[in-house]
Amino acid sequence: MNAPAITSAPPQSRHTADETSPIRIAVKNLNFYYGSFHGLKSINLNFHDRQVTALIGPSGCGKSTLLRTFNRIYSLYPEQRAEGEILLDGQNVLDPKIDLNELRSRVGMVFQKPTPFPMSIYDNVAFGLRLYEKLPKADLDVRVEESLRKSALWDEVKDKLKQSGMGLSGGQQQRLCIARTVAQRPEVILFDEPTSALDPISTGKIEELIEQLRSEFTIVIVTHNMQQAARISQFTAFMYLGEVVEFGPTNRIFMNPEKRQTQDYITGRFG
Amino acid sequence: MDAVNTLRASAPPLKASRVRSGRRVADRVLVVASTLATLLGILVLGSILLMLIIEGVKGFSPLLFTEPTPGPGSEGGGIANAILGSLVLTTLGILVATPVGVMAGTYLAEYGRHSKVADLIRFLNDILLSAPSILIGLFVYTLMVKPMGSYSGWAGAVALAIIATPVIVRTTEDMLRLVPATLREAGAALGAPPSKVITSITWRGASAGIVTGIILALARIAGETAPLLFTALNNNSWFSANLMGGIPNLPVMIYQFALSPYPNWQQLAWAGALLITVTILALSIVARFVIKSERAR
Amino acid sequence: MAALTEQIALTRTGSPARKKPGGLGDQIFRAASYTSALLVLFVLFGILASIAYGGWPAFREFGPGFITSTSWNIGREQYGALVAIIGTLASAVLALLIGVPLSLGIAVYLTQLCPGWARKPVAMTVELLASVPSIIYGMWGLFVFAPLFARFVQMPVSHLVEGLPIVGTLFYASVPSGVGILTAGIILAIMIVPFVASITRDMLDQIPTVLRESAYGIGCTTWEVVRHVLVPQASVSIIGAVMLGLGRALGETMAVTFVIGNANRLSASVFDPGSTIASRIANEFNEADGLQLNSLMALGCILFVITFIVLIIARLLVRRAKVA
Repeated sequence: MNAPAITSAPPQSRHTADETSPIRIAVKNLNFYYGSFHGLKSINLNFHDRQVTALIGPSGCGKSTLLRTFNRIYSLYPEQRAEGEILLDGQNVLDPKIDLNELRSRVGMVFQKPTPFPMSIYDNVAFGLRLYEKLPKADLDVRVEESLRKSALWDEVKDKLKQSGMGLSGGQQQRLCIARTVAQRPEVILFDEPTSALDPISTGKIEELIEQLRSEFTIVIVTHNMQQAARISQFTAFMYLGEVVEFGPTNRIFMNPEKRQTQDYITGRFG
Repeated sequence: MDAVNTLRASAPPLKASRVRSGRRVADRVLVVASTLATLLGILVLGSILLMLIIEGVKGFSPLLFTEPTPGPGSEGGGIANAILGSLVLTTLGILVATPVGVMAGTYLAEYGRHSKVADLIRFLNDILLSAPSILIGLFVYTLMVKPMGSYSGWAGAVALAIIATPVIVRTTEDMLRLVPATLREAGAALGAPPSKVITSITWRGASAGIVTGIILALARIAGETAPLLFTALNNNSWFSANLMGGIPNLPVMIYQFALSPYPNWQQLAWAGALLITVTILALSIVARFVIKSERAR
Repeated sequence: MAALTEQIALTRTGSPARKKPGGLGDQIFRAASYTSALLVLFVLFGILASIAYGGWPAFREFGPGFITSTSWNIGREQYGALVAIIGTLASAVLALLIGVPLSLGIAVYLTQLCPGWARKPVAMTVELLASVPSIIYGMWGLFVFAPLFARFVQMPVSHLVEGLPIVGTLFYASVPSGVGILTAGIILAIMIVPFVASITRDMLDQIPTVLRESAYGIGCTTWEVVRHVLVPQASVSIIGAVMLGLGRALGETMAVTFVIGNANRLSASVFDPGSTIASRIANEFNEADGLQLNSLMALGCILFVITFIVLIIARLLVRRAKVA
C-alpha cells in the first residue's frame, strides 16, 4: 500500500472524529459555475486523512457538485467550470497543467447508480489496473482477488468471474464498482449517494464496507440520508444554496449544531 | 366540440342516439379505411413474395449456383458469377463503410455534442441517408470510372460504401447516445482517457445496436441497382476476380435479363430476384432480433 | 491551515511500473473519428461538384432553355429537361396523393385499432415493405400490377371518359398497356408508405396517453380523437415525414424505369407513358457520350437541387425522428 508519508494516530472508534489527522484535501475559495449559474460560492473546507466526511444538505445545495470537483469529472462537460484551489496533498488539482487521468487514478469515485461496465466481473475490476500498471497475469489475478475481498464481494463471485458484471444484483454491482475503484489503490474515494438506489440490506453492507475502507482511504460521501451520515462519518459538512453552512465533527453537528439552518435541516424541518 | 356539449346534459343513461349519426359514420369510415389500408400493405408484400416464389422457383436448380450466366438466346446456364460478384461488391462496400461509419458516428455522439461542425455533419448525413442513389452512381462515375477509363468492380464497391455509410453513421450515433452518461463518467473517474472509455465501454454497451445498423446497411446495399449501372455494370463472363473491370452482379443482371426478349434470361432474372429478396428480408428480420435480444437484457 | 497541508507528502509513492495511458493514441483516435465525419461532408459536396462539372457543358450550350425545352433529340443533339422534370414531379405528386392517406390509415390502425397481439407482426410486415429492393418493385409493377391495371382500370376508365372534356384527356389511355405516369405514381406510393407510416406511427405513439385517454374519456370517437387530438399534435412531424417520402419518390430510379414507359413526349393523360429524370439517366447513360452525357449530368444536377431542397425541409420538420 502506498501509505501517506505521515502516519497518523491509529484509527479510532467509528464515531469520534480525529481532528489531529492531517489534511488530505484542502478546498480554498472554490467557486463553481454551470454556464452562468453560480453553483458553489466561495467554499473553504478541509478533509482529513483516513476519515469519512459526509456532505449533507437539501437537493440542489451543491454537495454533489463539490464532490465532482475533486476528480474534475465535471470537465467532461464544457459548460461547467471551477475557480479557486483544491489542494490534494498540497497540489492544486484545478491547475490546468495537471494530468486528469493521473488525478482520477488517485481520486476514485463511486456513483449513485451502480455502473458496471458491459464486460466480465474480472475485467471490470482489472479495467483500472490495466490502464496504469503493466502487471503479469498472476499479479493481476492477485490484485483482482484482493480488491474483491476488500469490497466484501469475493465469496459471492469467485466462481463466476468470467460472467458479465451486468448480471449481478444492484447491491453486488455497487460493491463491484467499489472493488474496481479500490483496485487502483487511490488515496481518496468519493461516494456520490452510493446507496440511494439500493435496498436496506445492501445499504447496510455498503455502509459496513465504507467503515472498513476508512483504515486505508480518505473518504468523502454525499448522502441524502442524515442517519447514514450520522452512522458512518466522522466529519460532516452541511451545505445549503451552494455554500457550506457548517462543518465539524459529525457528533457535534448532529448533537449540538451552531447554526439555526443546520438544526432545522437535521431535525427535518426542511429539505 | 360536440362531445363536450353532449356531456353538459346531466347524465341520462347512455344511449346510441346520443352520438349523432354523422359522427358515427365518420368514425366507421376511419376504422374501415385504416384497416383496409393496412390490409392493402400486407397484401402487396404478400403478392410480391408470391410472384417471386411462383416465377422464381421454376428456375431453381443447383446449376444456378455453379454455372455462369449464358449468352443471349442460348439455353442453360446459371447465375453463379452474378451471385459471387454481388457478394464481393457488398462485402467490400460494407468493409469500407463500417469503419468510416462507426468512427463518424462516434465523433458525432462522443466528441461533437457541442460543436457546430458536428451539427452540420449530422444534418447532411441525414440528407445523404435519403439522397437518390442514382446521384451517388453519377458521382462515383465521375470520380473513378471516367478517369480510369472503364467500369470497374472497385467503383461499384465505392458506390455501395457511400450508400451504406450514412446508415451506419446514424445508427451508431443513436445507439451511442443511448449509453448512459454515468457509464462514461465511471470510466473517466478511473482515469481512462476518452479513447479508452469509448473503445472498451461505450462501444461495448452499444454493440448490438451498432451491429444492427451494419446489417441494415448490408440489406440496403445488397439490392441497390441504379448506382451499379454506372460503376460496376455487368458482364456475362465468369467472375475473374478482376475488380479493375466491370463485374457481374445480381441487381444489374436482374435488370438486364428481366427486360430482355429471351425466356431463358427472364427465368434466370426471376430466380435471382427471389434469391436477393429472400436474403434481404432475412437480413432485415435478423437485424430486428439482434436489437431485441439486447433490449431484453 | 496552509502549513498543515504542506506537511503532507507531495509525491505519491506509486509503483515504478506506472505507465501513462492516453496521450498520442487518444489524439489519433479523435483525429480518425473527426476525419471520418468530415468524409460525409466531402461526399455530399463531391456529388454536387461532380454532376455540376459534368452537366456544365449542357447548361452552357442550351442556357436556361435547357429547363424549359421539351425536346430530347439525340440525332439533332437538342436536349431539354422539361419532359423529365414534369414526369418526375407528376409521378411524385401522384405518389403522395395515394401514399399519404394510405400511410396515415396504417399509422392510425397500428396505434389506435390494432389488437395488442397483432401490433408487432403487422408493424413488421409493413416495415419489411421498405426492405424490398426497388428493382423488385419494378418487376412486380411491370409483370403483375401493370396487366391488371390495364385490364381493370385503364380500359374501362378510358372507355367511360372518352370524349368528355378535361377528364376525357386526363384519364384516356391511347394505348392501354398498363404502364405510364399513374402506374409509376402507384408503385412509388407503395414504396413510400412504409417510411411515412412508420414515422407517423412513432409520432402518434409519442403523444402522451393521458391526452388520448382524456379525449376518449369525454366520449370522443376514434375519428374525433385522431382528427382533433392526435393529428394537430403530430402535424409538423407528419408533414416532415411526407416530405421525406417525397424526397424518396423524386429520386427513385429502378422501379420507375420499369413501369413509366420511358416516352420522351409530353402527354396530358396520366395513363400515358412518360419519363422521369432518374429513369432517363438509367436508360440512356451507358450508351451516351458527348453532349448527351452532359445533358444527362445536367438532369442529375436538377434532380439534386429539387430533392435536396425537399429533404432539407423534411429534416428540419422531422428533426431526427427515426432512421429512415
